[in-house]
Amino acid sequence: MKVLMFTWEFPPLISGGLGTACYGIVKGLLKQGVEVDLVLPTREEVYFPMRTESDVDSLPVKFLSPAKEIEFTNTVFKTAREKFEFVGVSSVPESYISMKEISTFYEYFENFTERYDYKSKVPFREVLNNIMGSENIFEKVKEFTLRAQRYAQSLEYDIIHAHDWLTYPAGIIAKTVSGKKLVCHIHATEFDRAGGAGDIRIHNIEYSGMTDADAVIAVSRYTAEMVISRYLIDTAKISVVHNAHNIDIREFENKKRLFKDPVVLFLGRITLQKGPDYFLEAARIILEKYPKVRFVMAGAGDMEKKIIHKSAKYRLKNRFLFTGFLNSTHVAEMFSNSDIYVLSSVSEPFGIAPLEAMSYSLATIISKQSGVAEVIQNAIKVDFWDVKLLSDHIIELIEKPDYRKKLGAAGRHEVELIKWDKACTEIIDVYTKTVKR
Amino acid sequence: MINLVFYFQVHQPYRIKNFSVLDIGKGKDIFDDELNGEVMRKVANKCYLPANKLLLELIDKYEGRFRIAYSITGTAIEQFRKYCPEVLYSFRDLAKTNCVEFIGETYYHSLSFLYDKEEFLDQVKMHRETIKKEFGFSPITFRNTELIYQDTLSDYIWEEEGYKVILTEGVDRILDWRSPLYAYKDKNKNMMMLLKFYSLSDDIAFRFSNKGWVEYPLTVDKFVKWIRDLNLIEKGKKNLFLNLFMDYETFGEHQWEETGIFEFMRALPGKALKSKQIEFSWPSDALHITNYQPESISFPEPVSWADMERDLSAWRENDMQYNALETFYEILARVKASKNPELLEIARKLSTSDHFYYMSTKYFQDGDVHKYFSPYGSPETGYRNFMNAVTDLEERI
Repeated sequence: MKVLMFTWEFPPLISGGLGTACYGIVKGLLKQGVEVDLVLPTREEVYFPMRTESDVDSLPVKFLSPAKEIEFTNTVFKTAREKFEFVGVSSVPESYISMKEISTFYEYFENFTERYDYKSKVPFREVLNNIMGSENIFEKVKEFTLRAQRYAQSLEYDIIHAHDWLTYPAGIIAKTVSGKKLVCHIHATEFDRAGGAGDIRIHNIEYSGMTDADAVIAVSRYTAEMVISRYLIDTAKISVVHNAHNIDIREFENKKRLFKDPVVLFLGRITLQKGPDYFLEAARIILEKYPKVRFVMAGAGDMEKKIIHKSAKYRLKNRFLFTGFLNSTHVAEMFSNSDIYVLSSVSEPFGIAPLEAMSYSLATIISKQSGVAEVIQNAIKVDFWDVKLLSDHIIELIEKPDYRKKLGAAGRHEVELIKWDKACTEIIDVYTKTVKR
Repeated sequence: MINLVFYFQVHQPYRIKNFSVLDIGKGKDIFDDELNGEVMRKVANKCYLPANKLLLELIDKYEGRFRIAYSITGTAIEQFRKYCPEVLYSFRDLAKTNCVEFIGETYYHSLSFLYDKEEFLDQVKMHRETIKKEFGFSPITFRNTELIYQDTLSDYIWEEEGYKVILTEGVDRILDWRSPLYAYKDKNKNMMMLLKFYSLSDDIAFRFSNKGWVEYPLTVDKFVKWIRDLNLIEKGKKNLFLNLFMDYETFGEHQWEETGIFEFMRALPGKALKSKQIEFSWPSDALHITNYQPESISFPEPVSWADMERDLSAWRENDMQYNALETFYEILARVKASKNPELLEIARKLSTSDHFYYMSTKYFQDGDVHKYFSPYGSPETGYRNFMNAVTDLEERI
């Protein structure tokens, strides 16, 4: 079987949450003998022919135009980066950033390159503008969609697989051109990103994509229910395939400690979707009774300033700290220095961060309004709005270190058993049934 | 007679690094050595060295008739020593002329007066000792950080050996119908007080190069005429004090050399001294030349020389500032109890008021003075770095 796959992200070229999931999916499919032609939002009209498992890391490139392909094969690239620059791919995730966030993205970057900013603003601006390119994501989606016909006509495949709204229009075009079946994969809806009704254009694209699709894959039952209730999609064509993870579970010795007191961690983008304010409210309740706990809010986002001001207003002293933007090394370090992880999301289609936290043996509390809650047993689950219950659970974990350690160890073991292999078997099952239908 | 009292504030804080939660407990340096050195060398070349040279020339030229006062913070002196010792030498040269008065303040330019009397007095003593050691001068005049003052300050300072004069801002809401040109006494009549004449001070410090200002360009002739006109209010031959208090960095740093600020200062003494009604004086001269019984003046609420409000709002207005200050003074008390001199030094460097100034959100949107002075991209970043640094300190106790 061969798949024409449209996606907006793929590591290391563009790596957000969607990219991470696509990496796991493609690798799993290849392992089970399914071939994938991957199409990304590149400047040049290229695709990535994935044939063996190692291709997900080496990323072979092919041009649609034969003339260009000859030029490309005759060009010597010293580094992989040079090759990708030739093809034209950026490295900033866009699909998971809501419209509102794009405007605060500049600020987000500024925070993190502050030190350079002080010396000279000019070169930094240049870099930023080049990374960001056009702010209008709809223009990019339009361009991506216009090219879909050529991909659909030039390549050979049995089925089309499109990830999230950015690639649904391309999926629909390819289906029309080729007559092949279309699978739309929902990693997040605009309702999740916007924390309620979002951009009407995106809602319409999501609706059209799922309506036109022959099969819809949702990353959780939670998401499937949203697809059914909000978009009124035919339940018969929806399948739930839970995400797995690519977390490298290492053995690590004694935990390092930044703090003497127990550390409760929030890690993610500080946006409405992630419910940072509920985490803050819980901290406020807990610190009144237990002043010897550290709360750390790790990450950046458009609600960061608001939460900083509010935590100061509550006079949480230096018991509620902020890290600012963290790179992946720092994320790992933050996890290994924490004791309790809280996912307070208001709406989380899946949620990979808790799995990562659990892989570090952190006692984990997850919002019931998340897909990950469906696959995990060894975590405490609460409604995101139930701040009182959340704080009770955190207090219990603080008071009973043995229980905390037990939960952490069980969680870690459970995460080890979650594999993309199982998810990909289910995806292949969806392909097979859809092609036959 | 009108006495021109020039007092220049010389201060540099220890700016904090971009300090992440992940830096806590690793023994990493809290202060940005590279940045602090860079700023110090820049300001030394643009301001301290050329301004000291100019003022030394003027002092020599006018043979004692041109006199000035400085308040140099302990953190500035330490950083001169570390990054630019020639600045310290040139201040010593100025001290040797005997035409310079050195003013006492808190060593760390801190807000400790508002939070911790004992710490405040400790920092005042530290500063006094440093000035004595570096310049051979025992301060008689005191000014608190950023001219922050309220009645209790005089009572605290009066307990200290040697101080007889206090400087603060001539705030309209306190002065009401009174003029800042007269010498005053504090509420309990223990200390002599001189009040900053803010409009003429700010004409030099802030408006000098502002092309949108109706009086632009500010010439020496114009300025001296304004001063002479002030003398008209006094018919009874009482000695007046025109207190021109400003940041020393006005010369060459806030007002660049190209604005002509140095030329203005070079020409001012000659022009002023030509007038029979104008002399230059030190703040402490008020003790001898005040030829009337100064009125007592009460400051029930704190004032300062900062921003339009001239109150504490530059450092203590939003929640971040309150939370940071309260957290800091709590941890400072614990550091002191731990009797660890190394930690105490770090804590005291963190007590410098600038850290709280950077957290101000008052004018940040307009890119105003707070932003100009801040090494951080936003008040929130300043807050984050400070809180993480304070936490690092706490974890090291």
